[in-house]
Amino acid sequence: MSNIERREFLKLIGAGSVGVGAGFALGEANKSPVEFLVPYPIPPEEFSPGIATLYNSVCTMCQAGCGITVRTREGRAKKIEGNPLHPVNQGRLCALGQAGLQALYNPDRITAPLLQIGDRGSDAFVETTWGEGIARLTNQLGQLDDRSGVVLLSEGVNGHLAGLFELLMTELGSDRLLHYDFEYPEALHAANERLFGEQQLPYYDLENSTYLLSFGADFLGNWLSPVHYGLGFGKSRQDGAQRGHYVQIEPRMSLSGAAADEWLPAAPGTEGILALGIARELVAKKYSGADKAAWARALESYTLDYVAAATDVAADTVNRLAHEFMAADAALAIGGGAASGSSNGVDALIAVNALNYLVGNIGKSGGVVFNPPRAFGATSKTQRAGYQQMAELADSAMAGEIDVLIINSTNPVFTLPPTARFEEAMGKIPLIVSLSSFMDETTALADVVLPSHTYLESWGDHTPDPGVAFPVAAISQPVVAPLYNTRSTGDIMLSIAQQLGFSSALPWKDMETYLQDRWRSLYAKGAAGAESFESFWQSVLQSGVWGENSKRDSGPARLVTGAINKIAVAPPEHAGASDEFPFVLHPYPLNSIRDGRGANLPWLQELPDPMTSIVYGSWVEINPVTATELGVADGDVVSVESPGGTLTAPIFIYQAIRPDVIAIPIGQGHSEYGRYAKDRGVNPLQILAPQEEPVTGAVALTGTRVKLVPTGRRVELVKTGGVSRELGRGIVQTTGGSHENADHSAKLKSIPITVEPA
Amino acid sequence: MSFLDRFNENWAALRKPGYYDKFDYAWTMTIDLDRCTGCEACVTACQAENNLPIVGEEEIAKGREMQWLRIERYWEGEYPDIKLRFIPMLCQQCDSAPCETACPVSATYHNQDGLNAQVYNRCIGTRACAVYCPYEVRYFNYYNHHWDTPLDQQLNPDVTVREKGVMEKCTFCIQRIRQGKDLAKDDGRRRVRDGEIQPACAQSCPAEAIVFGDRQDPDSHVAQSMASPRAYKVLEDLNTAPSIVYLKKVAADAG
Repeated sequence: MSNIERREFLKLIGAGSVGVGAGFALGEANKSPVEFLVPYPIPPEEFSPGIATLYNSVCTMCQAGCGITVRTREGRAKKIEGNPLHPVNQGRLCALGQAGLQALYNPDRITAPLLQIGDRGSDAFVETTWGEGIARLTNQLGQLDDRSGVVLLSEGVNGHLAGLFELLMTELGSDRLLHYDFEYPEALHAANERLFGEQQLPYYDLENSTYLLSFGADFLGNWLSPVHYGLGFGKSRQDGAQRGHYVQIEPRMSLSGAAADEWLPAAPGTEGILALGIARELVAKKYSGADKAAWARALESYTLDYVAAATDVAADTVNRLAHEFMAADAALAIGGGAASGSSNGVDALIAVNALNYLVGNIGKSGGVVFNPPRAFGATSKTQRAGYQQMAELADSAMAGEIDVLIINSTNPVFTLPPTARFEEAMGKIPLIVSLSSFMDETTALADVVLPSHTYLESWGDHTPDPGVAFPVAAISQPVVAPLYNTRSTGDIMLSIAQQLGFSSALPWKDMETYLQDRWRSLYAKGAAGAESFESFWQSVLQSGVWGENSKRDSGPARLVTGAINKIAVAPPEHAGASDEFPFVLHPYPLNSIRDGRGANLPWLQELPDPMTSIVYGSWVEINPVTATELGVADGDVVSVESPGGTLTAPIFIYQAIRPDVIAIPIGQGHSEYGRYAKDRGVNPLQILAPQEEPVTGAVALTGTRVKLVPTGRRVELVKTGGVSRELGRGIVQTTGGSHENADHSAKLKSIPITVEPA
Repeated sequence: MSFLDRFNENWAALRKPGYYDKFDYAWTMTIDLDRCTGCEACVTACQAENNLPIVGEEEIAKGREMQWLRIERYWEGEYPDIKLRFIPMLCQQCDSAPCETACPVSATYHNQDGLNAQVYNRCIGTRACAVYCPYEVRYFNYYNHHWDTPLDQQLNPDVTVREKGVMEKCTFCIQRIRQGKDLAKDDGRRRVRDGEIQPACAQSCPAEAIVFGDRQDPDSHVAQSMASPRAYKVLEDLNTAPSIVYLKKVAADAG
């Protein structure tokens, strides 16, 4: 075959474009004809065999939205690196991001549209065509006179895809458009709204802080944007003139707690009370704002003695923390984890916000910087759903109000506690369509599966959440041709719109066209001297990021009127009487598997948990003293019983947990989701009892009490670590520190990471 | 001097640190324990880059995990004054490597860049090197490993896929070093610049705890990092002369 013929052929299938930037999407109609086999001595246009082609894109394995650069060889994705130019991660990437390759090449991906021909949940799926699959949905939608009972339930989407959802739902005449993610920081959003009137999460400038007080926030593990905070943490430790000091307050040492200079196990759910105790000292000793009297009144009862008795932290310690906090050059307080998961979670996070306000770090370097509105994304037409909204949706379904449920890559059957009755409610919905790439617990209950591409095969875009204090966006582009008979979520939406006659409101032929259309408005804002939209688009694809490099001037910190008077943190409530259920259950997301999303990625299953080195399963962490009292050792299987349910798992004696708390990692316990995830471990979310956080209406994640009943069985805990004490070998050495940086003299210049040349 | 005397003399010289003193590039890594958070991004990055297999739960239960880089954890103290210390442990590329003396077929040798190189097709699998290694960073392929299709599409073509019966360990991403040197040679026969070559672990670390470079270049990031008063080497008293310098974690006083 001659070169000319090959090039013609490649043009015909619409592949290839100028240099970097174009993944090629082979639609179903354009599949390469089998008879055109061209040997590699006549190389394709898109790559040179033996030389890597790099594509910039965005990681969507969590909400943080790190920029990635994917190294491909001969059309196959080989390695995901961080994009050095993206301000969120600056060339770095976490384990979950690295494992995205295993989502793309996962052996358990759904490879074609499916129809359920048996009973729901019976796994009697048969493959069908896209035409048939979409018709099932559009026929049903077409038959409805009133489409207000159509629900689109998606994972959190931070890009223009969210706008596409909104357009479609508006045309359908339904306002039931929800984004649901277990990891969505609902309590933190509520706290920011109630105290500061802010809709967005702020930018926490860890990098420049010299004193970080964290109330349970596992910011190095999974809180908000762990890669960005990891960067900031590293820099605050050793790149500044002063080594940043860090205190972590939580009932069970998290990954971030291990990095802390001081770890304080306050009584579970009392972190907010501790924060107010510190705040009271701040007001008394340092704060001089005009509203000082109002603060003093609000905080009057949070005396050192009261706080010490409530939190199990010595009064001297509370006093010392307060004085360190107010004396620091750049103090910052953050909250999450057990603090946000308790029955007083929102109030606790308001208290943490109050600390930042009182110490005067709002809008300052090393403090809390409010984010400008994101460049694009969901509007108020989209509901960010927490537990309450999902429970209300379930109630609507039980009442017969829901006609069609369209699910996009979210798994509420796994992550909602049984009190939401979501699985039961799904049984009342006549038609359920899932757009997931994987057969997870929720998708297994669908009638029709219209599988979407993974993020590495799709066009899309993303703005980071939380933002980085100035507008930033990135385009996600296909880095490989789609592996299977799947389509991008946006294309599926556009097909549905076309079938239903909504082409005037959604006129684009595919997701790429839609994105380009939307990005013209960003271009029109005066995009850095690019001559044409095409060259602007190429430059954004080539760099992997677009931004307006200007830190927002947030002005003086403003509080919502009357917010100060409402400042209070009640003692936590836990479901279950303490005499019958002696321990507070502390579920926490595993570092890599997170809310269960990573459980189908074998690299992450085999990745030893940093704190325990256990792989492939679940375990129950208890204090050594508690273990002795119960007469259990590592591997003894216990029954964990709460007012909400029971599960069994082996014990692991954990050195850094309160004696009255037990911890179980979240993420395992799947009943579906592929060979690596299925039937492995337990899901502690299934035994959460209905202890409410009243502001958000959520079931408090850390609001359940449990008891442990040894079963007498033993299993071997599979872990990679051996003896976890140094025994005098001096392997990890420490140096006694002051707050001065020991090697300030060796001030290292920052070397940008070089991604290998294309 | 008899043959035996000469042999012993040479052997003693080989086993004393300082035997290797001429390097083309002296690749060195510093790992700052004050920055390391234990997040294990480096572990997954290494696994992706170097075609490390998934061995499964049963094999790990037998102690046969296959990760060239591991995060070790050590508890200090007792609750509530309890601390957890992380340390990434990988092949230290010792200049006076015990493993190099163990191998009966010289499948592991010291190359011109100061790396302890493993030759997979020479290895006959005696596993003596793993026994000699005081850091326990050598891993043996007890089986031919299997990738569930299409996970094998992800395999890096620049790196061998090892078969049953060979030892393997961290190579400081020698494939990236080789490519970096090639590109520098093509680009006007120059030397590799600092920062051009990053092993997968250093590239991924969110806290920038791992710094890699040529210690012979006084302007390099790694040379400056090594000069820190916090620098130390693990099990230094064993005289293995490791090429990895750790920076001590700062145990700040409370208050």
